[in-house]
Amino acid sequence: METASLRFAPVFSWMRRASLLCICCVISVPAGAAGTAVGTPIQNTALVNYDVAGTPLTLQSNTTTITVAERINVTVAVQSAQVLVSPGDTAQALLFLVTNTGNGTETFQLSMDSVIAGDNFDPTPAVPSIYFDTDGSGDFNAGDVAYTPGLNDPDLAADESVSIFIVNDIPLAVANGDTGLSQLTATSATGSGAPGTVYANQGDGGVNAMLGATGGTALLTGEYLVSDVLVNVNKAQVVNDPFGGNEPIPGATLTYTITVSVASAGTATASTVQDAIPALTTFVPNSILLNGASISDATDGDAGEYDTTVVPTVVVRLGDLTQAMGPQSIEFQVIID
Amino acid sequence: MKILLSVLLILAAAAAQAQAHLDVQTTVHKQEVVVNEAGESETRLVPADVVVPGESVFYTITFTNVSDEPADNVVITNPIAADLMYVDGSAFGPGMEIEFSVDDGVTFAPAAELNVTEDGEVRKATAADFTHVRWVMQNDLAAGAQGTARFAAVLE
Repeated sequence: METASLRFAPVFSWMRRASLLCICCVISVPAGAAGTAVGTPIQNTALVNYDVAGTPLTLQSNTTTITVAERINVTVAVQSAQVLVSPGDTAQALLFLVTNTGNGTETFQLSMDSVIAGDNFDPTPAVPSIYFDTDGSGDFNAGDVAYTPGLNDPDLAADESVSIFIVNDIPLAVANGDTGLSQLTATSATGSGAPGTVYANQGDGGVNAMLGATGGTALLTGEYLVSDVLVNVNKAQVVNDPFGGNEPIPGATLTYTITVSVASAGTATASTVQDAIPALTTFVPNSILLNGASISDATDGDAGEYDTTVVPTVVVRLGDLTQAMGPQSIEFQVIID
Repeated sequence: MKILLSVLLILAAAAAQAQAHLDVQTTVHKQEVVVNEAGESETRLVPADVVVPGESVFYTITFTNVSDEPADNVVITNPIAADLMYVDGSAFGPGMEIEFSVDDGVTFAPAAELNVTEDGEVRKATAADFTHVRWVMQNDLAAGAQGTARFAAVLE
């Protein structure tokens, strides 16, 4: 008749892709955070007031001028939460934000590395492995343009950012709970190395450029988590009519039993069952049972409720489920109008 | 009328001559770390031409009385550029009282006495609030004498 609608936290193999933040392709923030703009002249003139024989007089000094040179800095931030994957998954993306935190325009070279210490497996870089989030969706999809070193190195103004994906395949021989790290590096094309290094005449407009505290390069690591929990859900229906039979006629009571069980290793975290009651039926008040125990209809501190805010729905929260906890049984009743 | 005109002319002449009483020069330097012959790192001041955000610059104002009359009530006033932030405690001037302004040069006071109002609340002014620094000589500047005023600021 109708199917149970199940909403689980994204820890399941069949619903694993966590939704990423929606981030625009290129972001600009108000100028100034990266320092005074390159080429700005800073002038200073002192004023002297004095008296001679009671007569007030004024004199200005010469004007000194210093010019702002370029300071090169870059940061990399991870935008995606831990990305959940299954063994053998392909084209799994981690999202990063590269920001020019210097005071002039810089071109940045990007590279990635999936052989990072401290994880259980090495993700396999896709070919190509670095992409721009061209459509600004925060999700890796067909509209995103691949990065080719030397061809489309991102050119960022001071304080400007660009969203970058690094893309890997997941090996088959990994177990539930394994983590894999992959790293993005962004480096200024002018140079990188010890902070304070000066590149004469290589800043914007031909002024000098100097490496700031970041040394002109930044890197950060994102993480994949293998999450391969299998959950089985069954829904059964029993019809009892007012005359002792099983005919689905007006006045008949329908008793639904939903059974949820974890069929693999791992934990299905924050599992929740939501089942809209069928059209042309009326919910039987206080009929919700979880493993035989009664659950109040009201939205209170217990594990479930009968929610009528949008579509009349039975909601039961099962919490974190494992295979060892055995099947969870949810029951409720409606009467055919 | 004629007498008034001559008085005005004399005053004008006097003023024109008085411009030659003092000579004022400003220089700006920054720090540079060099390794000397002994292999040790030492910091020295070099003339500043090009500066990056985060670097400090050092301004020196040298004023000389090149006339044969004393100059009194000598006050040196220096506006702090918008992109520079005064380095707390860096103002220096022998024989001079140092004051700051937070209202674009309208009023001046010693740093400890300055307050600003922010979001309706009054708080003590900090180096970031200073718009001007000035040095007030406590005595005359005798004929031929020289004074020096200095301060440092960081490029933002």
